[in-house]
Amino acid sequence: MRVRWELVLLPALVISLVLLLASQFVFLKGSLQRDLGMGVMAPGLTLDNFREIFTDPYFLSSLWLSISVSTIAMVITLLIAFPAAYAIARMDGRWSIVLLAAVVVSSFLTIVVKILGLLLIFSSSGPLNRTLFWLGAISEPVTIVGNIPGVILGLIYYTLGFAILLFYSIVVTVPRSLEEAAEVHGASRAGVFRQVVMPLCLPGIAAGALMIFNVNMGGFSSTALIGAGKILTLPIVIQRTVILENNYGLGAALAVLLLGVVLVINAFAVWLLLRARRGMIV
Amino acid sequence: MLHYRTRRRLFSTLVLIVAYVTLLSPIAFVMIASFDYGQRAYVVFPPDRFTLDSYWRIPMRYWDSLWISVRVALLCMLISCAIGIPAAIGIVRSNLPGKAALLAVFRAPMQIPAVVSGVAFLHLYYLIGPLLGLQFVGSFVGMVIAHVFAATPYVVGTLVSVLQRFNYELEEAALVLGASRWGTFRQVTLPMLKPGIFAGALYAFMISFAEVPISVFLAGSRMVTFPVEVFNSMLFDFEPSILAISSIVTILSLTLVWLSQWAVGLDKFVQVGGAD
Repeated sequence: MRVRWELVLLPALVISLVLLLASQFVFLKGSLQRDLGMGVMAPGLTLDNFREIFTDPYFLSSLWLSISVSTIAMVITLLIAFPAAYAIARMDGRWSIVLLAAVVVSSFLTIVVKILGLLLIFSSSGPLNRTLFWLGAISEPVTIVGNIPGVILGLIYYTLGFAILLFYSIVVTVPRSLEEAAEVHGASRAGVFRQVVMPLCLPGIAAGALMIFNVNMGGFSSTALIGAGKILTLPIVIQRTVILENNYGLGAALAVLLLGVVLVINAFAVWLLLRARRGMIV
Repeated sequence: MLHYRTRRRLFSTLVLIVAYVTLLSPIAFVMIASFDYGQRAYVVFPPDRFTLDSYWRIPMRYWDSLWISVRVALLCMLISCAIGIPAAIGIVRSNLPGKAALLAVFRAPMQIPAVVSGVAFLHLYYLIGPLLGLQFVGSFVGMVIAHVFAATPYVVGTLVSVLQRFNYELEEAALVLGASRWGTFRQVTLPMLKPGIFAGALYAFMISFAEVPISVFLAGSRMVTFPVEVFNSMLFDFEPSILAISSIVTILSLTLVWLSQWAVGLDKFVQVGGAD
């Protein structure tokens, strides 16, 4: 008797598709409706919301801010996470488990508590500013509230733990024996890294970088808390439009813009990757 | 000039110190600062004194929100597994065409920025609520459905990556040796899948438990989950006992992860990233 796995799959697929399509369809439609206030939407479909977005520099500059902040945060996260993941993967068993456990714990904790701790560290009477004062390095306290470096730091906290786990899972697929073989044959440490480790990890790093960028683009909680209403990235503007201004139509249109930009950037990146890979083979 | 192995070890130690100080220091500071309590709307660090006052004065609404979060996360975990486990097994084992597309459907919620999902579900609830005569925004059911949407891809991802490494010969051996279908499933298949199921379930629980960007839109005034409560308190009315309740939740999360390490091993959590 054969088990019909398709039938096992079917209910799950139906539920997932319904949730996905229903929510996406309703808000796509909402983005084409004008908001009459009090949660009532005008019946006719129109492009007015999008016209408003594309003619108002406020919305476009917040989109641009989102893209640049997300990119910078992604690059810094990569620079910390990949070497750390590599070091953990090449370590002796017991320590690597302890270090991985620490990452798992920290990435499971809600970002809100992490940001709370970050604000404590950077508060004007906090440990960092006291130390810097004592060293005579600063005359004004360093702050992260309401400025762009602070928001970038918040985004890094949002993705760092996840990024280490992701890159760890990529590095462990590269056998240590390959590196040893290259070393035995006289390659330098840098040479091994550049010519053995990097080429093998590159597709994984690129895919991981894209995931981190996507998460950053949707980064909301940390930016809301650290940005303190001064740094208005697109997710913040969306939340304000919906919750504070109760303009559901415009909010949905802004969400469509965010989703669309993320999808286009992803498609472009995948296209670049495929082209680069083809170049490598040829 | 140091020997290159020594240099290499120094470099990796330095990298790890940077990464872990970055990762863990905020959590440590929250816990240390929670032992200070003053009649003030800000926190002094390091604490002037050591007291448990802020633990005794945790307002009831924090406990309420914690209870809401635990219930939402538990139900979200159960439903996500009920959807995700058959989905993952079905995708890997069936010989349907276009498996990659199927997997993409299940993974789609991961690609959608969370704020967008929040807006989308808000719209959906405002539309279907009146039709069904139900109030979804600010309701338990509404919150759970949206969390299931966000968490199921992680259950599917974890389990698919475990299943792809599955050794089918063991099942065949059991069948050849005369085990029944059901016996093979119960005694061979299930024990091998258990770590993946466990890891996926914990993922679903924790994603729901930590979720802010979707919950913020759907909380209303009655369904304020714990992270949203902390979020609101930090934005509008800071109160030192928030450090105390956050420390308690941190210890709880720590215990949960430690228990799962003890039960199934941590490597199962790492695999989810490699599910591509």
